[in-house]
Amino acid sequence: MLRAQHIQYRYGSRLVLSVDEFGLEPGLITAVVGANGSGKSTLLRILAFVDRPWSGLLELDGKVISSREARRTARRQVTLIEQQPFLFGGTVRANCAYGLVIRGVPKADAKRRATEIIDRMGIEALAGRKAVALSDGERQKVAVARALALGPRILLLDEPVSAADPSSTNHLYRVLTEERDRGLAICFSTHRLENAYRWSDRLVALVDGCTSPVTPENMFRATLPDGEEPPFARVGPLRIQVVTDRRGPVTIAIPPEDIVVSTEPLHSSIRNQFAGRITRISDDGHGRVGLNVDVGFDMLARITPAALTDLDLSLGSSVYLSVKAVAVQVL
Amino acid sequence: MDFFLEGLRQGVLLILKGNREVLGITSFSVYVAGVSTLLACAVGVPLGFVVSSTRFWGRRAAITVLNTTLAFPTVVVGLIVWGLLARNGPLGALELLYTGWAIIVAEVILASPIVAALTASAVQGVDARVRRTALTLGAGPLRTHWEVAREARYGLLAGVVVAFGRVLAEVGAAMIVGGNIRHHTRTLTTAVALAASQGDFALAMALGLILLALAFTVNMLLQIFQGRGHA
Repeated sequence: MLRAQHIQYRYGSRLVLSVDEFGLEPGLITAVVGANGSGKSTLLRILAFVDRPWSGLLELDGKVISSREARRTARRQVTLIEQQPFLFGGTVRANCAYGLVIRGVPKADAKRRATEIIDRMGIEALAGRKAVALSDGERQKVAVARALALGPRILLLDEPVSAADPSSTNHLYRVLTEERDRGLAICFSTHRLENAYRWSDRLVALVDGCTSPVTPENMFRATLPDGEEPPFARVGPLRIQVVTDRRGPVTIAIPPEDIVVSTEPLHSSIRNQFAGRITRISDDGHGRVGLNVDVGFDMLARITPAALTDLDLSLGSSVYLSVKAVAVQVL
Repeated sequence: MDFFLEGLRQGVLLILKGNREVLGITSFSVYVAGVSTLLACAVGVPLGFVVSSTRFWGRRAAITVLNTTLAFPTVVVGLIVWGLLARNGPLGALELLYTGWAIIVAEVILASPIVAALTASAVQGVDARVRRTALTLGAGPLRTHWEVAREARYGLLAGVVVAFGRVLAEVGAAMIVGGNIRHHTRTLTTAVALAASQGDFALAMALGLILLALAFTVNMLLQIFQGRGHA
């Protein structure tokens, strides 16, 4: 449906985004995960045809979208909701009807459709209120309603629940899931991995503006000192042995599935072993259990429910996390 | 001191009595300033939008030129317009010299950069999300500019008010291209200069007081708009 190929974006001389391949399909929710400054918002603005990439191609339904007119037409099918959405002056209902009115929908019809979507989003109480008087969380809900009122084919959301409480978060994602089931292509960015895993069908990680081959848990900024052999990445209080020729500042990633969890230290060929305590146990919804372990910072390991039972693990249990040096990815 | 106070008293009396000379000069000045400001807005607002919201080669140079024209000496503008409109000049056939339109042409040249620069500043100050939001909700270029202008409205109004004030208080260009002809091209400022040089202190004072009152009103409006813009 929507494909981006070899897109790059610069702020001045600084390259902030370089994505070789990125696509959105109808009926799929894609989550873009990354730290602040990783390029998530820039990517979404390019996909929304709001910002033009410095290089690369954007295709919608197999057609390259490059001319001003084509971009304008494409924008009518894609709607972006920013992390801190801007609402126009006037009431919430007027905001929700705004996009319809400027598309030439008669005012009465626009108002009716706006009311429908307001009801669906559960924000009836806000409908008559002035948009400028809303809280951040309320603004986000209104922005989502305003976007959905347009009936777009592709919906892009930049950190849609950054200001929402847990119940609003669940409600919003449920609405998105319903829209996905109706065939909408949805892409949201988030820094909350649990949201990404729970609500998306596909997860893309961005690191320094590039898509990463690994999922973004256990991704750390580290430094590899010059002349050290074998190299040890310094992450907080820990030294993590890695296999790489690179030196200097890097990002390292430890896939949670590659971490061996034990209750005793292992005597093996594994080079990295960290002691810590379990701070959180979660079900990732795909038949696996996530263990957050405090090893000086938070590290996630993923094991099976059977392993959790066998090792008799619970919150606060002391465990050892072991990772082979070759399993640590230097990005 | 008596001379000053007597002049001031007579000046106030001239205003209170509704002296026709004073009223005529005032209304002509306000008319010229109003028309000039409107035309300057027609030129300056789109120019300010283009400079502030589009990327083109030479944009920085254009902004520098625009800012330089803000400090254009009024007598030089008057001189250039006089040269263009003089009987032997390239636009002499229009026979505009020493008419109200000659003054308007000069004032538009002076006021347009002010409107353009303040428009550019107001538009640049608008939250970038306004443009993006309008675009992503399906607005075309004109509608997007309209939304940006709506957000920048107090800044734009401030530009209009500043331009009006500048035109109203301008004397050099009006004197050169208007000729300060009684009942024809005499503005508040040129009339004050003439009355003072002729020793008619009461008339000069009356006109000066009106000019001050207008300047005060303009500045009050400016304060109001700027206050709302920052609210």
